[in-house]
Amino acid sequence: MTVGQIPEIPQVTGQPRKVARTGAVRSGDLPRTSMTARRHRAFYMFTSPWIIGFLLLTIGPMAYALWLSFTTFDGISPNWKYVGFGNYQELLSDSVTWDSLGRAGLFAITSVPLSIIAGMGLAVLVNRPLKARGLWRTLLYLPAVVPPVGAGLIFKQLFNRDSGATNGVLNIFGIDAIAWLDDPYARYVILMAVLWAAGNIMIISLAGLQDVPRELHEAARIDGASAWRTFRSITVPLLSPVLLFQAVTGMIASVQTIMPMLLAADASPKGVTSIPQSNYMYMMHVFAEYFALGRYGYGSALLWVLFVLILIATGLIFKFTSGVVFYNVDPEAKK
Amino acid sequence: MTATTVTSQAAQTPEPLNTPDSGGRVRVRASRLVLYTVLVVITGLMLGPFGWLVITGLKTTPELAASPVHWLPETFQWHNFADAFTKIEYLGYTRNSLIISLIYAILVTLSSAWVGFGFARLNAPGKKILFGVLLGSMMLPQMITLFPTYLIFAKIGMVDTYWPWVLWGMASAPYLVFLFRQFFAGMPRELEEAAIVDGVGYAGIFWRIFLPQSWPVLTASFVIAFTWSWGDFIAPMLLLSSDKTTLSVALMTSYVTEAGMPVNNLLAAGSVMYVVPILLIFLVAQRGFVAGMSTTGLK
Repeated sequence: MTVGQIPEIPQVTGQPRKVARTGAVRSGDLPRTSMTARRHRAFYMFTSPWIIGFLLLTIGPMAYALWLSFTTFDGISPNWKYVGFGNYQELLSDSVTWDSLGRAGLFAITSVPLSIIAGMGLAVLVNRPLKARGLWRTLLYLPAVVPPVGAGLIFKQLFNRDSGATNGVLNIFGIDAIAWLDDPYARYVILMAVLWAAGNIMIISLAGLQDVPRELHEAARIDGASAWRTFRSITVPLLSPVLLFQAVTGMIASVQTIMPMLLAADASPKGVTSIPQSNYMYMMHVFAEYFALGRYGYGSALLWVLFVLILIATGLIFKFTSGVVFYNVDPEAKK
Repeated sequence: MTATTVTSQAAQTPEPLNTPDSGGRVRVRASRLVLYTVLVVITGLMLGPFGWLVITGLKTTPELAASPVHWLPETFQWHNFADAFTKIEYLGYTRNSLIISLIYAILVTLSSAWVGFGFARLNAPGKKILFGVLLGSMMLPQMITLFPTYLIFAKIGMVDTYWPWVLWGMASAPYLVFLFRQFFAGMPRELEEAAIVDGVGYAGIFWRIFLPQSWPVLTASFVIAFTWSWGDFIAPMLLLSSDKTTLSVALMTSYVTEAGMPVNNLLAAGSVMYVVPILLIFLVAQRGFVAGMSTTGLK
């Protein structure tokens, strides 16, 4: 919805704005130019906290990291030096980098579609006429409110080898206890922790579902379309901007997830190196290089590579969905 | 996936209703039964982990080691909750978490409302570009900027202080700016026209006219920012020493025996006390929260 709505807003608010501006000038004594200048100054006065903050806390650190990525800076050694693209060359031949990048990619392409499907499924489910519908929605959304640390703590108990409920259930079926938080199972625990918070996507899809005009569903029913066909041909296209937004933000969130660390036995900078291999994703590699090994130069190069990869991935998602995503631009159709 | 197929079957029910045979009614009842069964099972799976956390927190250490798993504790060890409080400086860490979360949530809500007002109600050359940058920066992974930010904060001596959260709060958050921008853009023009005629400045219009009318968004923004900061792990872990750090970090690292083995029952009890306040805040603020989210169109 966000992506779809942004272009619409200026049309709605822009129209009365022009009328109002001339109206204000007529009734006030100030000449038009000073009113405009005042408005311009006010705009920058209001947006300056964000502009300054963005420059100092986002652009600044990013630029600093870019500079560091060309050096061997480690924070301790005084004779660090400029090495040009040395770190980037090392990165290309570092198998840990490639393996961890592959794991992060695999996690993104499994967790993002799965959580979107789960979230939409839940949304369709609680969009039906139900008794105490609000209560069901709240209960299903509740896990999404829990912060990552809480989810990590909860899943550590749930999947504990000795005392976890999961192994308890498996034991009923005669299956031996599984060390869920170790290789190779740890990756599934992470996936389940992501799916547990699917309520986020449920709420967002639900809002989208309620925007779907009723007449469309009624018309489809009169035409004899099956429920699945209606869902596929009406609901999904109308939800597609929401889904696109979820795909992009979900991908970015999955790449920077710290869940592997929160599920690890030792959640500290030193403990990062002992994270199970199957959960040792790119961000954990960066974290280890930065804070366990203090290789700020090399770590910064890793960060910049990730940043560029995310830009490319976002661009590709938008490019490949541009023909598929349906933006509801007709304001009449919304009512 | 099961959810979709089940509900699509249920969606067909209105048609058989029109035919006055009893078979239709039976089918409606059967499909409703399936619908509610699916709902109960899924809700059970979603809430089960909370229940298990509480149960784990009520067991003894030998019970946790027993095999097969004990589903319920022999006697409920309520004292675990008290022990969890004393095993680590629970109150001290809670206070740190509260200070950081309140500083951040209050500042970032006010600054984001301020910036959002600028983007919603004012105009200047360069506004379109700035708004594009704002939206783009929402997509920027925060972890990427956090690591070099840590190095800079370390250099200027802000490590082990709460200043980073003050700065992050004052800088406003793009997501919340957008939230406020959407809300303010939808308010009627007449509100500020009258004030302008009366000679009230834009700051006055913001404080006296717009802000008092935006409680739903203010609540939503505060809850989002507070829970985000309360649950943040990486920033306090990197920036704060072990006695100034937050409850999140302490829970993750401090419930261990002298040999370094985790004390799971106390950890679980401590985790319950960490998670429950957030759930309560959400449940209390839910009405305003949902209203804020839906009026702003941020869905």
